[in-house]
Amino acid sequence: MPQSADKVKDHISLFQEPEYKELFQFKKENYECRATEDEVANQLEYTKTWEYREKNFARQHAVINPPRACQPLGAVFAAAGFEGCMPYVHGSQGCAAYFRSHLSRHFKDASVCVSDSMTEDGAVFGGLNNLVEGLQNCNQLYKPKMIAISTTCMAEVIGDDLSAFIATAKEKEAIPADLPTPFAHTPSFVGSHLTGYDNMIKGVLNYFWDREAQRERKANDKINIIPGFDGYAPANNRELKRYLDLMGVDYTLICDVSDTFDSPTDGTYKIYYGGTTLDDGRNAINAKATLSLQEWSTEKTLEYIAGKGQEVAALNSPFGLSGTDAFFMTIAKLTGKPIPEAIEVERGRLVDAIADSIHWLHGKRVAVFGDPDYTYGMTAFLLELGMEPVHVLCSNGSGEWEEKARALLASSPYGAGGQVWRGKDLWHMRSLLFTEPVDLLIGSSYGKYLEKDTGTPLIRLAFPIFDRHHHHRFPTFGYQGALRILVEILDRVFEVADASSDISYDLTR
Amino acid sequence: MLKQKVQELMNEPGCATNQAKSAAEKKRGCGAKGLLPGAAAGGCAYDGAKIALQPITDAVHLVHGPLACEGNSWDSRNAASSGCTLYRRGFTTDLSELDIIHGGERKLYQAIRAAAERFWPPAIFVYQTCVTALIGDDVEAVCREASKRLGLPVIPVVAPGFAGSKNLGNRLGGEALLDHVIGTVEPEDAGPNDINILGEYNLAGELWQIRPLLDRLGIRVRACITGDSRYVEVASAHRARAAIMLCSQAMVTLARKMRERWEIPYVEGSFYGIQDTSDTLRGVVRLLVDRGADPDLLTRADALVAEEERRAWARLESFAPRLAGRKALLYTGGVKSWSVVSALKEIGMEVIGTSVRKSTSEDKERAKALLGEEGSTFDAIPNAEMYRMLKAGEADILLSGGRTQFVALKSRTPWLDINQERHHAYAGYDGMVELVRQIDLVLNNPVWAAVRRPDPWDADGRPLEAPSWL
Repeated sequence: MPQSADKVKDHISLFQEPEYKELFQFKKENYECRATEDEVANQLEYTKTWEYREKNFARQHAVINPPRACQPLGAVFAAAGFEGCMPYVHGSQGCAAYFRSHLSRHFKDASVCVSDSMTEDGAVFGGLNNLVEGLQNCNQLYKPKMIAISTTCMAEVIGDDLSAFIATAKEKEAIPADLPTPFAHTPSFVGSHLTGYDNMIKGVLNYFWDREAQRERKANDKINIIPGFDGYAPANNRELKRYLDLMGVDYTLICDVSDTFDSPTDGTYKIYYGGTTLDDGRNAINAKATLSLQEWSTEKTLEYIAGKGQEVAALNSPFGLSGTDAFFMTIAKLTGKPIPEAIEVERGRLVDAIADSIHWLHGKRVAVFGDPDYTYGMTAFLLELGMEPVHVLCSNGSGEWEEKARALLASSPYGAGGQVWRGKDLWHMRSLLFTEPVDLLIGSSYGKYLEKDTGTPLIRLAFPIFDRHHHHRFPTFGYQGALRILVEILDRVFEVADASSDISYDLTR
Repeated sequence: MLKQKVQELMNEPGCATNQAKSAAEKKRGCGAKGLLPGAAAGGCAYDGAKIALQPITDAVHLVHGPLACEGNSWDSRNAASSGCTLYRRGFTTDLSELDIIHGGERKLYQAIRAAAERFWPPAIFVYQTCVTALIGDDVEAVCREASKRLGLPVIPVVAPGFAGSKNLGNRLGGEALLDHVIGTVEPEDAGPNDINILGEYNLAGELWQIRPLLDRLGIRVRACITGDSRYVEVASAHRARAAIMLCSQAMVTLARKMRERWEIPYVEGSFYGIQDTSDTLRGVVRLLVDRGADPDLLTRADALVAEEERRAWARLESFAPRLAGRKALLYTGGVKSWSVVSALKEIGMEVIGTSVRKSTSEDKERAKALLGEEGSTFDAIPNAEMYRMLKAGEADILLSGGRTQFVALKSRTPWLDINQERHHAYAGYDGMVELVRQIDLVLNNPVWAAVRRPDPWDADGRPLEAPSWL
């Protein structure tokens, strides 16, 4: 026997034992009705060709390996950024379980979310009863300060009206009339997690500013910042706050998950931890301006805020030197506050590090995939480092994103060979990597299959990261974050150099 | 004994600089100035001997001294090997306080035996260090005894750090080869086209840019001393018919003594630069033909050189549009200076100056002639002055070694490593193209625009205009 009670092997080594190999071989030969090894190899080779790529890109009716999630995930993420808020999903409980596991696997922390578990009855007769009962149970069981309601496909297909249903629940006294209940319709079959994020942030503000009471805006000197849907939010939001404190800016983060998804282990379990306070959310209407760090995750929200008479501004995931410069200058312009010397020193350190390492990065060809703002900001940083973004792929970008990304590539000679791929998936990316290979792939954990398949080294720098731990605890935002991105890229370049040659396996690089 | 040896090495008749000196200057020797206490200095004699011999890849290199002599130098040069990797392993006797009180000879013998029994190498090199020299360990006697008992060559390298500079250490390493290694093995296959290459360490694999050229001429490298070499090759080096001596400062004594002892003529040359590579190849071929090789070799060498030169220039031309008119400052030692100058000038770059620190007077003349009026030659440039030059924009790029790397980077000037820690091979025709390619990559890197751009806010921290693309 390959293992016994005295010698228990884990699965990494267990299935390498001869008994198992024999078993796999036996099944393969007798039950799998496989094509011959040659046929498999030939087909595999064929999928690496230009001819196959053209067929692949002509594909219309199937998405293979989509690098995006659905609306309610973004809505749950958005809801988690507010104090004492329970994200509530009206619809199937299975969807809610996916959102929880998705967030927990990435953040390595508990993720709170309930659903009203609609069943067949609900689908036939409408989800009103489920919602009323669900809100009542949720309130009694978990004592939230706010319940933020989003929907799954099921509720959207049958056309449940959240506004009317919630009003009914309050009339029936299932929950107190003054319990804040912002909501957003978030059908998964429209847009992506970013649309859901946008909808829910707008839903929360709309609840505070219009529905709860008709608030009059009394302008003050504060500014609002919407960090966006960001897998690195715990560290990035803290970094953001540190910078704003250094500048002496009076600010409100709208949706701050830095504590929610990164709570300390101190012997007590807290359902709710951290988040933007509800009063801050209410008073955010009075701010003089709102800055979004992810333009394409907050389009509707910004439009709504602008309608309230505030100045609004948006950046596209400001990564790197110029990106961070743009962030500080925007803040300085919005607030009139100067940029302190301490920040200038940090900037200088980043410049120093970049100059130290360019020799290893210059001309390296890169493929980037992910969300629209993310791919845009990352591409800008890569160009700045003298790297060549060859494929910029985004499955959930708009036409405007595509246009702006093309202009960005055109602005630098290093982007001259770069191509923008909107609405494409990771199976498209596979064809791209085989036909027009690159040195590095930057994206999420889902890139690991491409890494294994095409041999392109993957750098994990985007949500979700399931197979590596704690990346979200160190920032990618700001000058420090740029330094960290730089180091991640460099480490991968050096690992590849070390692995590829014994002769050049050098101690000093 | 060491003192005698050092004095002898300091008065090298084969050295052009030394020959140009007056009798009184000669008597003072070339190391007379010594190292200035309190000033920044380079490596020690031990380090010099170690780097000169360590590329013998199949030998054990055992350092007799406290841990850090080996610890600090362990695998710190990119001398590449085509096979054996034993030379990259760090061996040391790791002397401690009690060893220093009671003497380290017994421990040394045990270390030699342990290394021999475990790895059974063709030879073991034992390096003396300051501490073991001070306490009087007789490394030579221990090696002699170990050699007898274990039945393999155990070679003492007597170059304790305090003996002098790194360059002196290079020469002491050469002495160890002369005293104990070269001539101890008779090759069975000596031929009329066998040569040695001296002073080539195969850093970043440069030897491999030269070998194919020699192969095409039918010239066999009997021994490269010591890049990518095997012990037995070095031991039978005395049967070569001619030698090429590179990096002249390091191995000139070895070359001269091999000529005296075994009548192996040598040509002093360089594989940096197109003209130099050609000259060196032609030079060694002439020596071989003089000693009886087929005269046809001369014609074949001319043809090879012409073809390779044409190929190299054709490839260099494509860089001209991006590099023409850009100004370079070269700061390195020895012959590298002028040989690189000619290639850079050919593609239209301006060389505003080159250092001639370790160069012979002949080298200096050549550099001056090449630079013409626009450039100047320097001995050492103090860091502060170099910083000023770069800051003032007198040069667009600095080509130098790691020690001046940060002078360039802190003044926001592009920098390219052309010294021993570099990772690209610049030798031969292909190497020169690679060097120019690297200059292009560094000089035209967009990072410099970002590095030089001032913080986009004014002195009071008030923002200026945002970059247009954001």
